[in-house]
Amino acid sequence: MSKMITEQNLRLLIDTLVKEGARVVGPRQAGAMTLYEPLTKGDDLVLDQLPRRSAKEAFFPVCETILSFERKEGKTTVQDVDVCTVPETVLIGARPCDAAAPGILDAVFSWDYKDEFFLERRRRTTIIGLACTKADDACFCTAVGLSPAEMKGADLFLTPLEGGGYACEAPTEKGERLMARHPQLFDDAGNAKPLPLAEPAVEKLDLQKIKAWLDGNFESPLWYGIADRCAGCGACAFLCPACHCFDINDEGTADKGERRKHWDACGFGKFTNHASGHNPRDIQNKRYRNRIMHKFKYYDDKFGQTLCTGCGRCIRHCPVGIDIYAVIEEINKMGARDQGPGTGKD
Amino acid sequence: MCDHGKNIYMPHLATIEAMHDETSDIRSFRLVFQDEQVRENFTFRAGQFAEYSAFGAGESTFCIASSPTRKGYIECCFRSVGRVTDALRSLEVGDTVGVRGPYGNSFPIEEFYGKNLVFVAGGIALPPLRTVIWNCLDLRDKFGDITIVYGARSEADLVYKHELKEWEERSDVNLVKTVDPGGNGPTWDGKVGFVPTILEEAAPAAANTIALVCGPPIMIKFTLPVLEKLGFADEAIYTTLENRMKCGLGKCGRCNVGNVYVCKDGPVFTAKQVKAMPQEF
Repeated sequence: MSKMITEQNLRLLIDTLVKEGARVVGPRQAGAMTLYEPLTKGDDLVLDQLPRRSAKEAFFPVCETILSFERKEGKTTVQDVDVCTVPETVLIGARPCDAAAPGILDAVFSWDYKDEFFLERRRRTTIIGLACTKADDACFCTAVGLSPAEMKGADLFLTPLEGGGYACEAPTEKGERLMARHPQLFDDAGNAKPLPLAEPAVEKLDLQKIKAWLDGNFESPLWYGIADRCAGCGACAFLCPACHCFDINDEGTADKGERRKHWDACGFGKFTNHASGHNPRDIQNKRYRNRIMHKFKYYDDKFGQTLCTGCGRCIRHCPVGIDIYAVIEEINKMGARDQGPGTGKD
Repeated sequence: MCDHGKNIYMPHLATIEAMHDETSDIRSFRLVFQDEQVRENFTFRAGQFAEYSAFGAGESTFCIASSPTRKGYIECCFRSVGRVTDALRSLEVGDTVGVRGPYGNSFPIEEFYGKNLVFVAGGIALPPLRTVIWNCLDLRDKFGDITIVYGARSEADLVYKHELKEWEERSDVNLVKTVDPGGNGPTWDGKVGFVPTILEEAAPAAANTIALVCGPPIMIKFTLPVLEKLGFADEAIYTTLENRMKCGLGKCGRCNVGNVYVCKDGPVFTAKQVKAMPQEF
């Protein structure tokens, strides 16, 4: 029998988890914005707003200490960070575009060298996804192979029901365990019907065609034009659930300090600047090309996945109105012209 | 129960055992690992790099400039041009630095056995070839002729000057040193001219020969056509890409040329591989 949870019990679940000592992260009101932030009680959860930033901070903090150092009487020592202190976390209310992203990032954080700061948070986090009932003009998950009902990445997935409450599906053991630990909060779903889900106003794009065009068009007039007005502010990368570039910096002095990982962005001019002053990506167009290439070609070349979940945040909040969907839609059209009609498959 | 792996960002601690001012702003360090086990077990191959840290300032990426045949220490060489390198420069013998590595691929030296070698280097790009030069000189009978063409803007800008002298005096090394026009002082006994020009003059035979080229992008750009003219195939030319890096581990996202992560797939590439990449380096 399929299960459901009432909104009241969902909030009770948060209260219970918080009492058990878990860190519960979900959309909540933070000043004028809705953000994925730690919840202190069930009533904090905001269910009807897409958070301004993605949920990646739950796994990949904006700034994170990776070691500390100290010098005493001329002797330097380095102290490791114990990632075992990462709290058990439940990420609740993650939209499909946000729930799908951490699993995509597993590849880069675990190939060969394993970044345990990311991976231990992944192991210790249960993701409760939430289907979307509304989309705005910037949403384009359906264009890149996801959807408002996509469960990818979710351990437990909630679909809003007509008459209130949420249908619950547990695609993973983690999700099943969470339900099994709190059986009193879940009811039989009966015949309750799901609410109609959001329908982003975009076309489904052929990601293979886009990649094939990118394979052959590192040099293209397209790159000179689309990013002319890019201010290089990095907002797109910081809001993106899948952008994962970072910098490593020391804070403090040689006598006492910390080494930290910080979010970084390929849109910044200094990102690739050599010590000599030579810069391989010396103009904004090249940096924007790298952004598109990384998401729709390089990451696929390396790891067989697209580094974009169609959340639309980079469109919604770009201060100069650059629209990544419009760019890949154009590439899709050019790809179709070059390669003829598609197979109808993804 | 927490069964996570090691912190991949943790450096080894090393003591500066010796330092040398190569030029007015380039300094080399000899570093000895403080932990006895690390000192005994640290191995690397010529061409690999490391992340060196001045605690409190951060990390910088340089090659390991010493040869893997010389045990017990590693050497690096850097120009003071920013926060980290200035901080490294402010350290003294006996001070502690951090070293993460070795990272990246390496020169396939075993494949060069039985061949002649031509090293072509410019300015501060000698260190990534110096590791190979000493590696090969320490196994001298495994190679044919060894030619080194090395140049810099001026006499003062040549690094490892004492070793240039040593190579010059060896009968089993053909050293051709040069400075750019105007860079020669009254006692200069080398060539005067840009590295690609001097290489063309020296005209090493391409038959059964491997060329190893490191230098600023502009030098490489003009050296590759010379090697081609001399008859070198792209597969017989090796170089290193010196992209900006932070993690050195294939994660932080800045060293890529197209889908090639220089920190993991490189830094050593053949000219054939470099030509197949998007020309963005």
